[in-house]
Amino acid sequence: MKKNIISRTLLLAVTTFALVVAGAARAEDQMDAATKARIDAFEKGPATIDISKYPAALKDNYDLFSQKCTQCHKLSRPINSDYALPSEWSRYVKRMMRKPGSGISTGEAKQIYEFLAYDSSVRKKAAVDAKLAAATPADKAADEAKIKEVHDKYDGK
Amino acid sequence: MHEQPDYCPQPDAKPTATNTAVPIWIVVLTLVLVFLGAVYFDRHSGWFDAKVYGPFTSVEQLAAYQPQSGEAALAAHGKVVYETVCGLCHGSDGLGKANQAPPLAGSEWVAKDLVSLARVPLAGLNGPIQVAGHDWNLAMAPMGAGLSDSDLAAVLSYIRTAWGNKSSPVSEADVKAARAAISGNAPSATDLAKMTPPERGHEVFKKYGCFQCHGPDGKGGVSNFNAKTAEQVPSLVYVADGYNKAELLAFISRGERVIPRKNPNGPEPPHFMPKWGGIVTTNELSDLADFLFSLKPKGEKLDF
Repeated sequence: MKKNIISRTLLLAVTTFALVVAGAARAEDQMDAATKARIDAFEKGPATIDISKYPAALKDNYDLFSQKCTQCHKLSRPINSDYALPSEWSRYVKRMMRKPGSGISTGEAKQIYEFLAYDSSVRKKAAVDAKLAAATPADKAADEAKIKEVHDKYDGK
Repeated sequence: MHEQPDYCPQPDAKPTATNTAVPIWIVVLTLVLVFLGAVYFDRHSGWFDAKVYGPFTSVEQLAAYQPQSGEAALAAHGKVVYETVCGLCHGSDGLGKANQAPPLAGSEWVAKDLVSLARVPLAGLNGPIQVAGHDWNLAMAPMGAGLSDSDLAAVLSYIRTAWGNKSSPVSEADVKAARAAISGNAPSATDLAKMTPPERGHEVFKKYGCFQCHGPDGKGGVSNFNAKTAEQVPSLVYVADGYNKAELLAFISRGERVIPRKNPNGPEPPHFMPKWGGIVTTNELSDLADFLFSLKPKGEKLDF
């Protein structure tokens, strides 16, 4: 009996797989393949951040981030994205804010940006350091100042 | 007494099921049949292409029947270009669409000299125009600016001879001459060299018809039904906030074919961002980015 179920399941699985592969191979490539692969990789990662060790004052920012950003895409996309520097987050958050109908005010965008800049400086420290090392001295100084700014604002609160 | 014949089943011979597994040969046979079915499908279906129907079995086979040279080939070539570039708005029947595109069938502009006709796809057409006795006031991007002389000659010949239009076909050489005559409208190379990069970028913006979707000078306001972005094509005024130059150039080159939908079950939004890489030259792209960055209102600054 058990063998029966196994062979039937196997048959079903193989047939489904064959159909899916045939379909996928013919499906038109809708998005630039590299961009799609990049976004897919981000979205496969964890969809939440453990903020228990972050300053309590950042909780509101995190909630706002979770609420606004999931209007259009998974939260795992920004969480696992390769953006890490404050300047990158500043651009990305503004880009999203400027989409018609985003419902993100400039004040809210700033809060989301602060959360992401703070979070990256802790959780993605290695990436931040690598990017800072590769940046021009002026850019490096500007980003370091912005990281210090968010830490000064939130640390110990 | 009447005897039961031998061949009658005994009433107590109930059907029974055993625990035997499905024999492996059935599995193999099924897979072989599925495979053969797939092969047959691949060879005979034309992969759901609407152009393929019996007795023909593939697009390649149909292509072999198409005229390879001469007037018939020119008409076939023109029809393909027309359906790809023009047909969406002007209609496969050339009758146009109300509030969207004037008719080409019976249009006096089609019958005019070639320069007048070629100016429309090459330079776009904005503002009031009378076609076949009706007033139109619309905007059309220079949809044909990127077409080769041979594609343009084919499509113009098609437009001039299809749907009862009685004008003569045009040659590649005619189109080349018309193109040269029309380019007098655009700023000359010397003019362009004197401009600043944002000014040149503005010319690029006009040349490729970006205003068609992003509004005059990128101010937005063009509707895009069922698009997640408030059913609008985004304005470009704040591009400077969200992109650095490399990111912006990459985005314009790559385009965005799939526009997220406001209602996931609703129709696909009609406008999408074309892939401009390979159409707009590298220098033009750079100037265009400088123009777009210049759109942000002076003095407006965010504190992050």
